[in-house]
Amino acid sequence: MNKTSSIIKRVVFYATIVGVWQAIYMAAVLPEMLLPSPLQVMETLISSAATGELPFSVGTSLLRLFVGFIISIAIGVAMGLYMAKHKTVYETLGSLVLGLQSIPSIAWVPIGLIWFGLNDAGVIFVVVTGSTFSMAMSTYSAIRNIPPIYLRAARNMGAKGISLLTSVVFPAALPYLVAGMRHTWSFAWRALMNAEMLFKFLGLGFMLIAAREINSMAHVIAVMIVIMAIGLVIDLLIFSKIERTVESRWGLR
Amino acid sequence: MAKLELHNISKIYNQNNGAVKAITDVNLNINEGEFVCFVGPSGCGKTTLLNIIAGLEKPDSGEVILDGRVVSDTGPDRTMVFQEGALFPWLKVVENVEFGLKVAGVQKEKRRERAMHYLDMMQLTKFADSYTYQLSTGMKQRVAIARSLVMDPEVLLMDEPFAALDAQTRDLLLVELQLIWQRTRKTIIFVTHNISESVCLGDRVVVFTHRPARVKSEFKIDYRRPRLIEDTSLNIYARSILEELKGEVVAAIKEEYKEPDGKRDEQVLRDEN
Repeated sequence: MNKTSSIIKRVVFYATIVGVWQAIYMAAVLPEMLLPSPLQVMETLISSAATGELPFSVGTSLLRLFVGFIISIAIGVAMGLYMAKHKTVYETLGSLVLGLQSIPSIAWVPIGLIWFGLNDAGVIFVVVTGSTFSMAMSTYSAIRNIPPIYLRAARNMGAKGISLLTSVVFPAALPYLVAGMRHTWSFAWRALMNAEMLFKFLGLGFMLIAAREINSMAHVIAVMIVIMAIGLVIDLLIFSKIERTVESRWGLR
Repeated sequence: MAKLELHNISKIYNQNNGAVKAITDVNLNINEGEFVCFVGPSGCGKTTLLNIIAGLEKPDSGEVILDGRVVSDTGPDRTMVFQEGALFPWLKVVENVEFGLKVAGVQKEKRRERAMHYLDMMQLTKFADSYTYQLSTGMKQRVAIARSLVMDPEVLLMDEPFAALDAQTRDLLLVELQLIWQRTRKTIIFVTHNISESVCLGDRVVVFTHRPARVKSEFKIDYRRPRLIEDTSLNIYARSILEELKGEVVAAIKEEYKEPDGKRDEQVLRDEN
């Protein structure tokens, strides 16, 4: 009952927004170039999907995101683990990681272009640099925040070295790691959009820039809706769910 | 030869305001199959001593000798039951109990068999496949005990395991623990600040001084088993231990209320006494 009423509320809310939008359009308060009607945006979406342009761009973007994200996780977790294990590493490498994390992902585009050229690798490079350091810091925090009693209990049972790592450190840190991954993915998504808009080499970001260049507001809004939808879907259907499952099993919920 | 011998154990902690001696010159022998309770004022260092025996901390001087050999590292021959269970929430109850066996490389079927044997002993058979968040505190402590016992340790260490339980669960577990001890004949060292608990469980109660901890006195409890916490005959023992302990508790409080320049807050002490 609760879930249905929540869905109904949301449907009504969005329907109202579309309704207001339509009303503003019909009142002709703004020139059509600035604000197309919801219907026009809808038509644009459909035609773009029909020609295959939209699915292709979405597929390109998601593929780059996936590859970049996996690389970020791999490098980030390794770095975070290394920093958590050795204090000196945290004090030295950690300071660099912290600094690099604060650089907006868009600033990595020039290096991406020069080092890799105008291709997928360059885009993925920006995605990776835009999100790895966040994953490293999240991993570091996750491991440092493991309740020490788990480690004591595990050592007491005879666990040492690698077995301690796999049997206790990672499982104990998992809830925080998952939260970190959720964070990292949002950084990765933003980095991807930034890169695609500047690289102008396929993908949703490119579609957005292209739409501006043909002066079609309908296209711009259409692409932004797609970007938003993807963000929501991945966040709600994937990360939210994983986070909830892990947290309830770990007894944190 | 005693099962466990403590020779001249000392431990010093380096803190911001100087070195703090936690334990000083503890010498103790524990015999095989004995149930020994450590009591002392809160913060006196008995948990530190237990950690040293377990190998979780290293003494600054002295040695721990188990069955004739020196032990200094952690190991499943001296498993510990912690105050807050310390069960792993990502594992099922039976997997928790199996944990040490898995680390030791025991085969799956054998692990399961042994874990279930001890879960049966703790009357938790039905909960083998549950997760720890589904258990009450009392049940979690039972699982913790099973986990420690399944490793067949030479010495079972227990660090105030019933301190976080409600009185009824605790009273039940006091009886259960005695029955388990009679069944398994384990050597047990039980740390508690609760004197009634100590006389209810122990063959011998060792009283420690306030920090730095030293053995103050020992009491042999010669009484039939299983003992109930409400057995009035135990009161005589409890009273003697209380007398021993009272002086130490007051001394510990005086220590805490001491002014930085060494003066004492006389008014507060008068009120305390």
